Amino acid sequence: MILSSPFTASVAHHYEMPLSLRSFTSLNRALLSSSSPSSLLLRRSSLVPTMAASTTTTVSSTDAAPQLNQSTPSPPPVQVAKRLEKFKTTIFTQMSSLAIKHNAINLGQGFPNFDGPDFVKDAAIEAIKAGKNQYARGYGVPDLNSAIASRFQKDTGLIVDPEKEVTVTSGCTEAIAATILGLVNPGDEVVLFAPFYDSYEAVLSMAGANIKCITLRPPDFAVPLEELKSVVSANTKAIMINTPHNPTGKMFTREELEFIAQLCKENDVLVFTDEVYDKLSFEMDHISMASLPGMFNRTVTLNSLGKTFSLTGWKIGWAVAPPHLTWGVRQAHSFLTFATSTPMQFAAATALQTSDSYYEELKRDYLAKKAILVEGLEAVGFVVYPSSGTYFVVVDHTPFGFENDVAFCEHLIEEVGVVAIPTSVFYLNPEEGKNLVRFTFCKDEATLRGAVERMKHKLRKR
Amino acid sequence: MEGKVSRASRKLEASPIQELSQLAQTCRAINLAEGFPDFPAPPHLKAAALSAITGDFNQYRHVQGICHLLATQMKGRHGIAVNALSDFVICCGQSEAFAASIFAIVDPGDEVLLFDPAYETYESCILLAGGIPVYVPLSPPDWSFKKDELMKYFTSRTKALVLNSPHNPTGKVFTRDELETICEACKIMECFAITDEVYEYITYDRELHISLASLPGMQERTIITSSLSKTFSVTGWRIGWACAPANIASAIRNIHVKITDSAPAPFQEAALTALQSPPDYYCSLRTEYEARRDYVVQILSVLGFQVRFKPKGSVFIFAELPDHCELSDIEFVKKLIEKAGVAAVPGCGFFHTTPQPQDGEKYQRRYIRFAFCKSGETLSAARQKMEQCVNEDGQLSF
Repeated sequence: MILSSPFTASVAHHYEMPLSLRSFTSLNRALLSSSSPSSLLLRRSSLVPTMAASTTTTVSSTDAAPQLNQSTPSPPPVQVAKRLEKFKTTIFTQMSSLAIKHNAINLGQGFPNFDGPDFVKDAAIEAIKAGKNQYARGYGVPDLNSAIASRFQKDTGLIVDPEKEVTVTSGCTEAIAATILGLVNPGDEVVLFAPFYDSYEAVLSMAGANIKCITLRPPDFAVPLEELKSVVSANTKAIMINTPHNPTGKMFTREELEFIAQLCKENDVLVFTDEVYDKLSFEMDHISMASLPGMFNRTVTLNSLGKTFSLTGWKIGWAVAPPHLTWGVRQAHSFLTFATSTPMQFAAATALQTSDSYYEELKRDYLAKKAILVEGLEAVGFVVYPSSGTYFVVVDHTPFGFENDVAFCEHLIEEVGVVAIPTSVFYLNPEEGKNLVRFTFCKDEATLRGAVERMKHKLRKR
Repeated sequence: MEGKVSRASRKLEASPIQELSQLAQTCRAINLAEGFPDFPAPPHLKAAALSAITGDFNQYRHVQGICHLLATQMKGRHGIAVNALSDFVICCGQSEAFAASIFAIVDPGDEVLLFDPAYETYESCILLAGGIPVYVPLSPPDWSFKKDELMKYFTSRTKALVLNSPHNPTGKVFTRDELETICEACKIMECFAITDEVYEYITYDRELHISLASLPGMQERTIITSSLSKTFSVTGWRIGWACAPANIASAIRNIHVKITDSAPAPFQEAALTALQSPPDYYCSLRTEYEARRDYVVQILSVLGFQVRFKPKGSVFIFAELPDHCELSDIEFVKKLIEKAGVAAVPGCGFFHTTPQPQDGEKYQRRYIRFAFCKSGETLSAARQKMEQCVNEDGQLSF
């Protein structure tokens, strides 16, 4: 079934979805009969097996035989789906609220406090005025698909078909969701590198994937090749890569990518690669997995407008993949959001056609910002790990004597007036991240200097 | 590599509908298929969007003001009291609001009731979440259902019922009586209702849209979804919402954050202006659409279509093929595109059930959906083109 404009209905044909999983409905009802909503959620979490490196969240061996109890009148039902275990209120929201309360300088949230370039905003304005306000073609406005294909060719040397190999989504977040939901079956094994952007784990669990997690460790967060090799097999469906990497700023090297590529070819594994920070690569050139020999046919490359053009709220992202993989991405996308914001797509096409000088200036600006932050953090006493790309830096906070990253971040907000993000949220096993926190430098220079000053004056080693 | 595609997508074939779509483009047909306007968005909205972009509202955001305005509207129009701080999730269109709601409450194996005919996307979301769609047929010609029949479709596995009213594709507006039946059933079976109310402001003949959540005992179990798109002719802006009791809204929000994280920022800002439109705006919207409905009903009747059910809401008319016509809906639409240069949607794609004996076997291949969210010029041009293809009785014939 393809939902293509202008026909939004299709001939009904019933396709098979794997329904080999048990129903939890009656379990829900049993839990419902005598509990308040919040205690229900607490009780539910005790039924989920504790997270291990490899896990599936859609089948639980701890389900008891349920008792249907309808005689007790129940309070408003809180029959949320089991998959919600992985979908909790994010740390970002919590930290942001605390930040506002204490008037803290926010170096936690990953979006700029400066705006995008006028020429892109003007293009959006023109598009709105010109009446481009109705549904765009589901998989993208043709101009944008072409611009994405051209940019991709410039960056990787690969020629792709904008009609068959490019899909536009509401931000890279949706591209990730569509890729995973469109291509991963319940029970499929997917390899993930920790720390990871928080939507990866959540959506993989939504798809019923069996996650195999490999931890990247300081100081250089290099890929542990032998460990990776031991985990990848013919049963592996996909490996997820994020390069340049959030939160560490690591960039996957050619050697690492070639090693991964080799494993993928030997075991017939897909790669999903999130490259939203590709234009913020400072210490080395960004390499796209898709450009390695034999890899295009098994790779989905994900990207977006937001980070490169400081317009994170526009929600324009995309997936580039060979037709047989694009199909799955488009199916899921059509059910998730159906179409992407039309005027912004036209503006994005304009943005992507800009000359290389834009990207050079972007890098220069960010390098200057990075210098301010990194020098400041080092002077204050953090152990600062080298970040090759993105606008993030991770540091070891333990010189300041706090038992974990959350405690440190709370102190940083409350007593120093600066926000950082505790990185433990980016790991399957939070213990692994407790020594690290993430700072961002996508802020104007005055803000960065202000934050550094506060830390110099108020942050003391214990 | 073929083995790497998911099981679900492997089963899908290219749709005959897609062929018709391509044919329509090749023939440059007048498009009465797509459910979005070809007239401009309201000027006051566009101005608000421009001002938001220039005013630097371009980073991730959640515009709380939208929730307050919506809460006020719900109280005023439907008497539903909601908490603006906790009960709303702003999403990329009603599409995303619906998907997030399904993912928030449907577990693998859960059954979800839908009325048939139905907008295709509902089923896809349910299946993606591992749920089982169960269809309750609406019987032609007036698309009604029997009260005592409804309960038969519920089982202990029923998690939710989806209600789209005003209804796509039939234009039906569920009556208070029908809503009460649905309400009772949901309460007895302790299940959710998810509503799709995108056409809530487009009703005719003084018919009022009643929100299911306004019925006694329903608010606590209803997720309302809607959007700006149809009310404000901005289907391309992707601003929609889900409204539900706080703990459910929280679940929906958590899913939404992982699917898209944020609806487009400048359009959220513009939504503030949209949602403060004066009563006049809504009156004109309805009046203008009613005029279009009447026009299209008349043309189609004259051309021989059987319009036994005049739409009470939405921007669609679900017309039955002329009695004498022996073509199926798909065949008819193909001819309509090729010979008359007008595109519409064959109704079969909206049906999912086996016809009931009393309704006759073939009706599911006899309906065509026409959209009338088009300018007067477009509708008039469509009429002229179709008039070229009539037989001696003045009826459309190929």
